[in-house]
Amino acid sequence: MENSFLNRIKGKEFIFSTLLVAFVTVIGSFFRGIIDASNFAVLFLLAVVLSALWWGMASSVFTAFFGVLAFDFFLVPPYNSFSVSDLKYIYTFVGFIITGVIVSMVASRARRQAIETKQREARTAVLYRFSNEMAECETTPQVIGAVRKNVGELLGCSTAVFMPHKDGISDAGSDADFPLDTHEYAVAQWAFSNKKPAGSGTTTLSAAKAFYVPLETSLEAVGVLGIRTADGRVIFNTSEMELVTALANQSSVAIQRAVLTEKSREMELAKKTQALQAALLNSISHDLRTPLVSITGALSALSQDFEAVDAADRKELLQTAYDDSLHLNEIVGNILDMTRVESGNLKLNVRPCDLRDLIGASLTQLKDKLEGRMVAVDIPGDLLEVPVDFSLMMRVFINLIDNAAKYSPAGSEIYIGAKTEGNMAVMTVKDSGFGIPSGDLEHIFDKFFRAVKPRQVSGTGLGLSICRGIVEAHGGKIWARNNTESGAVFFIRLPLGDAGHGGRD
Amino acid sequence: MENSGGLRILVVDDEKTIRRFLKAALNSKGISVIEASDGEQGVYIALNSHPDAVILDLGLPDMDGIDIVKKIRESSVVPIIILSVRNDESDKIAALDAGADDYLTKPFNAGELLARIRTIMRRLAPRQDGPVYKTGTLEVDITQHAVTVKGKTVKLSPVEFDIIKMLVMNYGKVLTHKRILKEIWGKNEEPEDALHLLRVTISNIRNKIEPDPNRPEHILTEPGVGYRLFEE
Repeated sequence: MENSFLNRIKGKEFIFSTLLVAFVTVIGSFFRGIIDASNFAVLFLLAVVLSALWWGMASSVFTAFFGVLAFDFFLVPPYNSFSVSDLKYIYTFVGFIITGVIVSMVASRARRQAIETKQREARTAVLYRFSNEMAECETTPQVIGAVRKNVGELLGCSTAVFMPHKDGISDAGSDADFPLDTHEYAVAQWAFSNKKPAGSGTTTLSAAKAFYVPLETSLEAVGVLGIRTADGRVIFNTSEMELVTALANQSSVAIQRAVLTEKSREMELAKKTQALQAALLNSISHDLRTPLVSITGALSALSQDFEAVDAADRKELLQTAYDDSLHLNEIVGNILDMTRVESGNLKLNVRPCDLRDLIGASLTQLKDKLEGRMVAVDIPGDLLEVPVDFSLMMRVFINLIDNAAKYSPAGSEIYIGAKTEGNMAVMTVKDSGFGIPSGDLEHIFDKFFRAVKPRQVSGTGLGLSICRGIVEAHGGKIWARNNTESGAVFFIRLPLGDAGHGGRD
Repeated sequence: MENSGGLRILVVDDEKTIRRFLKAALNSKGISVIEASDGEQGVYIALNSHPDAVILDLGLPDMDGIDIVKKIRESSVVPIIILSVRNDESDKIAALDAGADDYLTKPFNAGELLARIRTIMRRLAPRQDGPVYKTGTLEVDITQHAVTVKGKTVKLSPVEFDIIKMLVMNYGKVLTHKRILKEIWGKNEEPEDALHLLRVTISNIRNKIEPDPNRPEHILTEPGVGYRLFEE
């Protein structure tokens, strides 16, 4: 049918045919009277064949008839008249026209086949590229993006993809110039519900501005593809229609694959989360119970028979209960912090903070735990201001410094440094302790992960993951590595923002 | 240290176990305790029984802690120590700005609380050392505008001296950023440039008076709240 193609060049091909006939006639007129006129028929047949090959059936038939007229008028005596002197020319004309029409049919079929082959090849290439691109997409939005981009480019149209949403469908990505109103939605919805194309160019709801083709697989309808040609043109021709169908099929499969992948990933995540929650409860109840056991034990021993316990033991028991209650408080604090970090509603009260002040305040809070420790603090003399939430960032430093103290021999040095690197502040907390097994470096910031577990060191395995949560909430990064000599170094890198151009005073 | 015996302290807390523990701890130091289990009762006792100090839990069920502080401050200057839980700086700041003297974060130990009470009582006691204030190794002569650390004279700029003076006269008390900005620079708000100036000034003072400015012993930072002068 190729309606649009014919529509567009119908005028042209007849003009070409006419010109071709004129050309042949002019050539023939040079030999007029020199050779027998019936020989010219061969020249005109050539014109018919060429017309058929170049411009198709209609024009070659036209060439045949028009050619006979020209032949008769100009080249058959009497010249410049349609009358024929010799009867044999009538046979020539009849033979000529019959031959012309047959040649036209054969040649134009060959031409059509060539065109179709070429189109099929082009379509195959297009679909191949399309399916390759689809295969690279992982998420549904990516697939939808690729579908829209490809369909848009191939058909020169604006597109929209609708996906199932609640009871109906919703826009899952559309071009700005795609007409999206309630009426268009209703047409898309119809195409989705009835699994049939609808809208412009179809027999259903053809008043719509765009054409809607359902995206369906053997299992279900996964969405609707809306197409609106650039000039608002209504009809697609057959080959365009075939292309649309092929694209829609591939899109459907790709979208369904992405949707299924996401679903299974979600399920896996839910399973993992469940396992994590179980681990959390397990770990928390264990961590909470341990100090509680010793507190209850110590206090029950004292309250049962206070007088019978000698003074030194009383003190010992009380000290144990007190120490463990502090530990309990620390655990509860960590769990609270973790919940805040995890829940995602960590409210940051970000203000420029004097980094030296921040570290100093952290050290003051850890005064008892750092008793007898050499703590070297190396901060540039200039005021180094970093935009952070002072209290939260203190939790980070307290956790890191406390860890450094826990995981290194009593009396060994702890080093805390800070400097600027470009528009970043980099802080380090270094100990000379046991270090971190290299395989664990990646995992120490994970929840509940505890690397080496020396007997005396207690903890929930939450501290570092809280640190990471807080640092990342500030747009920073935290990581660790082992010293070349001994012990571990923790690094924190935080953006300086507008503040921090030290020593502005 | 001073004898804290003979003091009467009002404890306002809805938790019975906390009142019990505070009573035991304070009684053991010869301090008598009046208990109130809600805000209304607390305000009434604070204004009518004239306690020497009030320990006030910020999280009472019947009244907002900050309103209680304001109510008491309307007609009394009795020292108020606030008990609060972690992570609620804005409440602490609001209570301090409303006139509370100090705060303790739960859980706290008895020793800490007694130290705070003693500090407040000492600040309120009539002074014997005239215009010279002494805290630890730090000496500030208000009339002479002279500051010495471990006997060595330290040169401070006028603003730096004003801040030290303010801290010294309120030692043991938490001074919020807002209060310092208002008193020293006459600012009624807390614009970032003023806060920056405050941080710079504090940093400079520390460089001059702290034995190790990286680990301040005199001017302590109250995270997110303000500063206090510490005295061991």
